[in-house]
Amino acid sequence: MSDDAADVQRVLAGDVDAYAALVDRYYDRCARFAVRMLGNRDDAEDALQATFIRAYRALNRYQERDRFSAWLYRILVNQCRSVAARRTHRERVFVREEALLANAPDRSQGWAGEDEEFVQRVLNELDPLLREAFLLKYIEEMSYEEMSALTGVGVSALKMRAKRACDRLRERWEKIKND
Amino acid sequence: MTDSEHSSYVEWIAREARRPVVMDAGARDRLMAAVRAEPVPHRSFVSRVGNAFQRFAEPRSLTLSPARSTLLAAGLVGIGVFAGAVMTNRDGRPTAGQPPVAAVSKLPVSDTFVKFSFVAPSAKHVTLVGDFNDWDVSSTPMTRSGSVWTVVVPMTAGRHQYSYVVDGKSWSSDPNAPSAPDDGFGHTNSVKIVGRGSTS
Amino acid sequence: MTFARGLASRVGFRATTVAAALALAVAAPTLLRAQSAEPDRIAKLDVGSSYAISLLIDSANTEGLPGRMLRLKAYEGIAKKADGRQIVAAVRRELIALRVARAQLGDVDDDELAAAAAVVEAGAKPAQLTVFRARIKNRSDLQAFTTWASLMARGVPTEDASSAISKLWQDGADDATFVSLWNNVQSDILRGLNPGTALQNRIREAPSSGRVPPSKGQPPEGQEREGSE
Repeated sequence: MSDDAADVQRVLAGDVDAYAALVDRYYDRCARFAVRMLGNRDDAEDALQATFIRAYRALNRYQERDRFSAWLYRILVNQCRSVAARRTHRERVFVREEALLANAPDRSQGWAGEDEEFVQRVLNELDPLLREAFLLKYIEEMSYEEMSALTGVGVSALKMRAKRACDRLRERWEKIKND
Repeated sequence: MTDSEHSSYVEWIAREARRPVVMDAGARDRLMAAVRAEPVPHRSFVSRVGNAFQRFAEPRSLTLSPARSTLLAAGLVGIGVFAGAVMTNRDGRPTAGQPPVAAVSKLPVSDTFVKFSFVAPSAKHVTLVGDFNDWDVSSTPMTRSGSVWTVVVPMTAGRHQYSYVVDGKSWSSDPNAPSAPDDGFGHTNSVKIVGRGSTS
Repeated sequence: MTFARGLASRVGFRATTVAAALALAVAAPTLLRAQSAEPDRIAKLDVGSSYAISLLIDSANTEGLPGRMLRLKAYEGIAKKADGRQIVAAVRRELIALRVARAQLGDVDDDELAAAAAVVEAGAKPAQLTVFRARIKNRSDLQAFTTWASLMARGVPTEDASSAISKLWQDGADDATFVSLWNNVQSDILRGLNPGTALQNRIREAPSSGRVPPSKGQPPEGQEREGSE
């Protein structure tokens, strides 16, 4: 039995702390997908909370033969879609510019991993379905079969979306470069 | 990525997007607080059966007589496999958005000739470098007269940053001009305001 | 020119016009080649830095901020032989400062935005820019911002500089006042006075009109004078 399955069993037996272990194992990776998909941390936190709560409620339906990560991601992808649908305006990617200025890292270090706003902006410009396919394929590094299982979309359609996402990024770069 | 998708730019985007994302420090605590407020989920009959089947179907070192093997196989076929897929609402709809249209500010166009002077008695050559010559280190050499180096340049009205480069390597600000904040490269530029209500 | 005259007589155009058109036609490919043969300096940086800077410039343009200023910041870094990551950090910092300045001042021209961004980069709290938000006819805040940023760059404590400049502005001080303040404080600092003290002394001297009396004597050597030719 995998660690995930063992933890699920413990939760179902009444040990809520075992769920904290599952959260610890998957939160960061899910957070990366949620932020990249939704474009800002506030919405991402909403989606993450909804995902893990739903997963908790549905643990009694989890089948050990499913990979827990795939099962969880199915919920995550759909929660991100729900959060996105509820939004009515385009969000700014980053917040607290003043804090960023005040807490600017040592300049000799150059930009750090969290200074990713320009990458996020580029991703935000992709149509959400293309962005989703791009993230699942090239950031989460899933196979098309895995992606198909969790999105319910056919493999060839997913391949088309991922390819189109790459095409759009390239086209956008050509425009940026020549401006 | 496949060859058709290969592009160093797209690969770079993917690489950057794979970096970890730091969430608010309290996010996980808030999540677990919400989880603890939920009723504890209980194992359902379906999942017990499904899991039991799963464990039963896993390879084991068990030796059965042919008769018992046949009986076991028949029993397995007789048990219905219940696949409980998690159904979630797919109410997401793609929201196409357009980036806002860039606004273009136009600077007033008027050239004023401005004289720059810099005292550097032991320099061999001095150049003036700034935003008005796109920070090109060699395009505006200064002329020496005694220990003072001078040049007159046309400048558009507005705010300009500049510095002097001595002997091709040493950057000096103008001691008599207002300073810009740290340039981010370990130096400080000087500021000149031209034709915008300035006096000097 | 003989060829042009012959051609002109056949098609009915003035010879000079045709000559000019021919010259341009001959030169155009060379001009175009020269333009496209000169790769942008940013493209010569390491790939990641080049991409990052281009995207930052594009972000600025998309938001209606002066992307050209970010390009110039990158050129500056290249001229100063900074490494790619340092240049990206500096460009990004500039973009953030421009955004903050725009958020505080609203729709002002690029020079004011850049000057206000410098004030923010020098350490002033963004909220302190708010007093400058109202647009007053025939009044420019460019010199006020320049003096403000410069005082902080020279070591005057941020709060002291910010409150002094804001008060002068609100009291109606003109450009000459801000220039004079800067010159006086600068002289005092060069004479060895503590920057904060130098500012306080000069502010105290200013009458309630907000005008700071000019310093006595000639302007320091090397001070530029503007003139049109």
